[in-house]
Amino acid sequence: MKQVKLFLGPQHPGMHGNASIHMYVEGDIIKKSYLLPGMLHRGFEKTMENRTWMNNIGIIPRICVPEPDPNEMVFANNAETLANIEVPERAHWIRMLILELARLAAHLMAFGGCGGPTGLYTAMYWAQADRDGILTLFEEITGQRIYHMYIVIGGVRKDLPKGIEKKILDYVDDLERRLPDYEDLVLNNPTIIARTKDQIMLPAEVVWELGVTGIGMRSATGKAYDIRKVAPYARYDKVEFDVPTATYSDALTRIRFKWLEMHQIIRIIRQVLELMPGGKVREKALDGSALRWQVPKGQVYTAVEASRGEYGYYTVSDGGIMPYRVAVRGASFPQGLLGVEKYLPGHRIDDAALWFDTMGICSPEIDR
Amino acid sequence: MNKHIESVTEAVKAKFDVLNTEIVRDTQAAVDLKPGDVHAALAFLKAQGFRQLSMLTCVDWLEDKEFQLVYLLFDWDKGVRLQMRARLDRDNPKFTTVTNIYPGAQYYERDVHEFFGVEFEGNPMSYKQLFLENWDDIPPMRKDFNSRAYSDKKFPVREYKKDFTKAGDGK
Repeated sequence: MKQVKLFLGPQHPGMHGNASIHMYVEGDIIKKSYLLPGMLHRGFEKTMENRTWMNNIGIIPRICVPEPDPNEMVFANNAETLANIEVPERAHWIRMLILELARLAAHLMAFGGCGGPTGLYTAMYWAQADRDGILTLFEEITGQRIYHMYIVIGGVRKDLPKGIEKKILDYVDDLERRLPDYEDLVLNNPTIIARTKDQIMLPAEVVWELGVTGIGMRSATGKAYDIRKVAPYARYDKVEFDVPTATYSDALTRIRFKWLEMHQIIRIIRQVLELMPGGKVREKALDGSALRWQVPKGQVYTAVEASRGEYGYYTVSDGGIMPYRVAVRGASFPQGLLGVEKYLPGHRIDDAALWFDTMGICSPEIDR
Repeated sequence: MNKHIESVTEAVKAKFDVLNTEIVRDTQAAVDLKPGDVHAALAFLKAQGFRQLSMLTCVDWLEDKEFQLVYLLFDWDKGVRLQMRARLDRDNPKFTTVTNIYPGAQYYERDVHEFFGVEFEGNPMSYKQLFLENWDDIPPMRKDFNSRAYSDKKFPVREYKKDFTKAGDGK
């Protein structure tokens, strides 16, 4: 049969962000495929070498659009490790609250996002509307809806506004009440089941080969490989939550995991609001003006569990007022590049967008 | 300090010619090796439980005239992390691929090749461009690359003349 060259993206309703998959297809089946990244390459790593430590806070959230807060967390955490700064207790808990709200927003977007390639737009509309509620909470806490620039070196920028606890609790109560509706709409939907059950498999060997993390890893290996459990940061060792695991990773399992994790996020948020102590939220990090901070020499890597997996920064400081080098490890780098090349071929064209969605791929963090 | 990371560091020290070790934080250590030992050490560490290469990246030490390759390894069962670092000559940056040990390194090596110009022999795709289209200068993440000068050269300031609509205004 004749081989045809096809592009999925960069401008395509089923494509997640501006990257493109270059496919060679025979009939319905993909025979060869490559990801063509670079359309969102904005040179963040180079730009950060020419900005002071504090200036960089304004740039880094833009590296990953749907879930910007892990960027701020790892950047601040790296500088704090190098400079030996103790973050106030309350700031740790506020950081957790922010990270969990961000994860909830990202999960909602990805969970509803599976409606795009399957034609179930209702899921997308519902999830976007619910995500908007979180953005409103973010606006009240940080002043911004998408890019918060809230977690800074030494703590968080300012304390929580009065009465926000009740608003957050009202929001998660409301969402939890409607999570069964989401299950009925998406996970029990015969169309979704037909498209995703036993399709788009991710075996455990492939997980280790590529270096896939996050939901893909946990749903294939059957172990609770979550950085919040394996190497806890902030105060994740003080809250109780379960990590869903499985040993059979088809697309439906991975979609279901997002739904299961939403329950756990709500559980964490409730505990955080209950256990959060009072006190200071920001320590004066280093001497002098914030724009002339000199972070001591050193090389350190920090990773946090983002909604798609391990998200980390490798920071090198030479003792100057700007970072010497910052390297970003996007959670979707392994499956987005090597995964598309090696494991997308063999699937049908109409599954390519679903493959991209359920593997948890976010193109801005591949390009950086 | 974490017992496990201590014993792993000691084991690497006993087996290889280690230049320097460093405790970065409670669950993270750094080991500096000679470039010749990197492959054997990576294979050894993978067998010790560091089953994941989180990232391969590079640092340009312009004053020392060296590139530093950094392999970040993670042990998911113990929750410990190891930075394995090796320095290459900056004038002749060549190294051998590690894709036979960590297949996931393939695209990280392409990334380092594109942004620093380090060649990885044995990586079938490393010469291809990935992120930058038709790049025509030195690799951009090198410290002697000036992004401002490149931008000024590549995109000169346009001059707009006031009367540029004259021919088309119908008079």
